[in-house]
Amino acid sequence: MLFSFDSLATMFHGIAAGGLALMGLFAALFWLYATRSAAADDARVLGATPQQAFAFLTVLVAAALWVTVLGGTYIVFPTYRTPPPEGVVALMDFPRAYLLSDAGTAWLHAFAMESKEHMPWIASMLATSVAFVATRERRRLWADHGMRGMTVAVLAVVFGLVSFIALMGVLVNKVAPVQ
Amino acid sequence: MATHGEEMPRTEVASDAADAGHPNGGSLAAFLAAGIGSFAMGAFVILNAAGIFAAPSFYGPVGGLSGRSTLAVVVWLAAWVWLHRRWRGREMEARNVYLATLALTALGVLATFPPLWELL
Repeated sequence: MLFSFDSLATMFHGIAAGGLALMGLFAALFWLYATRSAAADDARVLGATPQQAFAFLTVLVAAALWVTVLGGTYIVFPTYRTPPPEGVVALMDFPRAYLLSDAGTAWLHAFAMESKEHMPWIASMLATSVAFVATRERRRLWADHGMRGMTVAVLAVVFGLVSFIALMGVLVNKVAPVQ
Repeated sequence: MATHGEEMPRTEVASDAADAGHPNGGSLAAFLAAGIGSFAMGAFVILNAAGIFAAPSFYGPVGGLSGRSTLAVVVWLAAWVWLHRRWRGREMEARNVYLATLALTALGVLATFPPLWELL
């Protein structure tokens, strides 16, 4: 078979779910930026449809992040860290062991992969809080500058984390792909 | 603590029916709980790196990550439920909650940064 289940799962994890989350995060941040100067009673912003769309977008981002995190942790990661059997010297099918076998690539596990293990959980929890607020406070989110600023700040943190994690994932998978 | 609609001034927008039943306490609880969850994730990672507390592995193939992440999520959800039940009916001063959330998040992220573990 050209692509194994693990390989397809890794692609779905990084490109489909992770990519969707990253695009959604950018769209949500851009939306907040583009409407930053709208008056508190601007009907174009405060209409039900734009608010519902923004709330839907943040829920989509949170859901995509949880799918990415759970799939990455419980489907992709076990394959990545599978230890090679005794005596095996061709380590390409064992990404963690392969990276650690060479001093030049060991950092991809010690720094890149170790970062990828924990930071996505933080991003998912933060994104969920934004989705909750965007759904609960549909109109207030546009009128309350403090709440809006906090939403922007949290989304920016999540965007930064997810971008960094995605970059680390690309580097790891480039050198030691899950096959 | 002021309750919504009593002491806090209400704008035309805030008085809309969509917001009438939603003082900001519930949203602040969600933000702060996420900060607490982030900090918990970082704390479990740091404690593990320092050899002080190793979270149990709940799923063998994933190793200790399954324990650290599960415990952090439990802390996050427990904090959210507790804060939500306390704050959901309140209109609160938000600034300190926002600052606490961002500070806890920053500490959590910092603690999950691998180069920091080498300093322990």
